[in-house]
Amino acid sequence: MAMLTLMYGEKIVKEVAVGRRPIGIGRAPDNELPVDNPAVSNYHAKIYAEAGKLVVEDLNSLNGTFVNDLRIERAALHDGDQIHVGKHHIKVDTSGVLPQDMDQTRKATEMGGIDSTMVLDTKERRDLLQQASAFGEQGQFGSGRLRMATLAVLSGKTDKKEYILSNKLTVIGKSEMATIQLKGWLTPAVAAQISKRDDGYYIGMGDKTPLVNGTKIGGPHRLNDGDLVEICGVRLNFLFRE
Amino acid sequence: MRVVCGGSSDVGRVRANNEDAYRIVDELRLYVLSDGMGGEAHGEVASAIAVQTVAEHCAELVHAEPGSARKANGKSAADTGANGESGERAMMLASAVRLANKKIFWSAEKNAAQKGMGATLTAAWIDGRKLTLAHVGDSRVYLLRGGDLHQLTSDHSLVAEQVRRGIITPAEAEKSDMQSVLLRALGAQLEVEVETGEQGLMARDVLLLCSDGLTRMVGDVEIAGALQAEGDPQKAAENLVALANENGGADNVTAIVLRLDEEKKNWLSWFWGGANKNGK
Repeated sequence: MAMLTLMYGEKIVKEVAVGRRPIGIGRAPDNELPVDNPAVSNYHAKIYAEAGKLVVEDLNSLNGTFVNDLRIERAALHDGDQIHVGKHHIKVDTSGVLPQDMDQTRKATEMGGIDSTMVLDTKERRDLLQQASAFGEQGQFGSGRLRMATLAVLSGKTDKKEYILSNKLTVIGKSEMATIQLKGWLTPAVAAQISKRDDGYYIGMGDKTPLVNGTKIGGPHRLNDGDLVEICGVRLNFLFRE
Repeated sequence: MRVVCGGSSDVGRVRANNEDAYRIVDELRLYVLSDGMGGEAHGEVASAIAVQTVAEHCAELVHAEPGSARKANGKSAADTGANGESGERAMMLASAVRLANKKIFWSAEKNAAQKGMGATLTAAWIDGRKLTLAHVGDSRVYLLRGGDLHQLTSDHSLVAEQVRRGIITPAEAEKSDMQSVLLRALGAQLEVEVETGEQGLMARDVLLLCSDGLTRMVGDVEIAGALQAEGDPQKAAENLVALANENGGADNVTAIVLRLDEEKKNWLSWFWGGANKNGK
């Protein structure tokens, strides 16, 4: 069983085990881990098991939830992680076994042997994927998925002022196949390419090495919201838009 | 664009039968791959129905419309831009895949023994410089360009969806014991959502269609290396299958490799081709 220990400085405030129900963190007294601090929202964050993982999700709190000092909206937790909310922190201990939160799938997987492929029917699929939002935050991260990645042209000659990165692979260069058409005698057909992967957008080298926030990339580089990309004299701003 | 192609499929080192199937339709430049599932030999039935239906249905659609039939040889449409309108091929492919889904579903409904059979499907259709893709499940299409391997399809699997939602990292997905759980497959339900996509192609691009028996056994770097090391697509496909088997061959493994080149080769293009390779 995974254990969560709410601490204030060196003092242990409360300890809870993660079961089937999500563990709420916040100023409201009905939270499993109530935190009495004005910097903490009423329903600040929650922790639950999903797909054999422990997940922490910020509930749009005012001052944010931090895992190992990084602000998160949603993150998988690992043994020894520290979650900070306000002046309190929560120690994560997953040395015990996580609850089997997906009995249905596991059973089915075991039935067919772990190696054999299986398909989830629509209901199971919905249950699994919406497990997180089922606890009241409907659509919270649904809205996040509708974000479009765009490149806005800050300076330099291009055929458009803004591009939506809808393809799996976006080519920047002189090639007629390029989505972002560059001009100029010495511009290569493929100056750089942006690849859309499951976990985000990655810019890679073509015949040129692009700069991201002023630094040359050393290999496929994941783009973050607001990154500045420079290639062949063109400056582009990578932005997510709703 | 000139397309040279090769394919290879193997039962692997662990399984008793090969439930993968593939079809190369040279005259249409259509390439179809399917990974079947289901007990006994029924996965084979499902994947065979899948590739057969898609290949036949696309051929019928192309020949039914004289306007598109001429494109079948790939010449007249050679210079359709990557961002051209069309989408016609994507619609044809999607309708073929939906038909395959229905056929598998009804076959399983009629034969109690086939209950639960299903298949993934991945199809690539080249028209001039445009590649149209359609897929359901976790068989993938990769593009090797300039030494980098890009995955052009998103798996319809539970772990891939969890990565897209930020619940787990790609590294965690690779180790997950839920990798075999698909969110979509042919034959599971009467209706299926088909994902389609289009991509512009360039000379010297290499495309790979493969079943998860390859990608679970061989990493991206090894795949990219194998594709670069062997110029003959048939041998490259065989090498990839051999690599999967060397690494354990836990599942059936299938690979289709396509190499693209400019139609006309003169001394200058040879020169540029050579120069580019050395310049990298």
